[in-house]
Amino acid sequence: MNKREFLARLREGLRGLPREDIEERAIFYSEMIDERLEEGLSEAEAVGKLGPVSDVVAQILADTPPAESVREKSKPRGRVRAWEIVLLVLGFPVWFPLLIAAFAVLLAAVIVLWALVISLWAVDASLLGCVLGGAVSAAAFFLRGNGLTAAAMLAAGLCCAGLAIFCFFGCKAVTKGALWLTKKTASGVKHLFMGKETA
Amino acid sequence: MDSQLKRGLLDVCVLAAIKSEDSYGYRIMNDLKPYLELSESTLYTILKRLETAGMLTVRTAEHGGRLRKYYHITGEGLRRIREFREDWKEILSIYRFVVKEDEHE
Repeated sequence: MNKREFLARLREGLRGLPREDIEERAIFYSEMIDERLEEGLSEAEAVGKLGPVSDVVAQILADTPPAESVREKSKPRGRVRAWEIVLLVLGFPVWFPLLIAAFAVLLAAVIVLWALVISLWAVDASLLGCVLGGAVSAAAFFLRGNGLTAAAMLAAGLCCAGLAIFCFFGCKAVTKGALWLTKKTASGVKHLFMGKETA
Repeated sequence: MDSQLKRGLLDVCVLAAIKSEDSYGYRIMNDLKPYLELSESTLYTILKRLETAGMLTVRTAEHGGRLRKYYHITGEGLRRIREFREDWKEILSIYRFVVKEDEHE
């Protein structure tokens, strides 16, 4: 068993004790494992030294005054929730428009970002168009016997081709960055709400 | 051993382990190993009890890229050790009396 598994099972076994007490115990045991790791033991060995999780949990529960576990179980959760609801309702005219505004700003930022990406790709596409145009006009001038202009057109087309290739890599990088930023923003918003749900 | 007496002994042992300098959980356990075998759970309970009683304070310090809790003895903790030494004299005299009476039989 590794450290994470041990701590997860410990937390699970201590459910019913005050939350801060569980966390404090988890920190204590985590420190004990870290100290043994520092001594050169493997993670499994360091965890093994603490004994089976069930024994650890049983001993902690035996050492804990019964009042503590009862206190956590009988916490007036309902009343806290009720207060939260009252606050939410009373604050609705304030927080709701603010929330909408925040969303609008965020959405606008994402749209601006993607508009920039699209415009960059449009530049690249127009450069490609110039390559085609250059080639076609070079052929036309050549057929009409205007060799010098045809060569100039061909050169301009080639320049555009070079620029298009150069721009392509730039566009790719910017698109990647925009994708990453959008994903981050989306997950940030998601976490914000998940956090609120659990609080 | 009487549980009340044992509890008192354990408290003083842990206080003695942090008397000369601040120490941390794992070191306290190792320092006490030659005298008594303490489980992590017991040590945690003792440290918590002593902290609540104001006999030690806890501070967290960075060590090797992680956090470690250090325990520091307070004036109250030092007083408890002195008290223990006084109590022990009394216990020893009672012990001598008990042994003497027992041998007379």
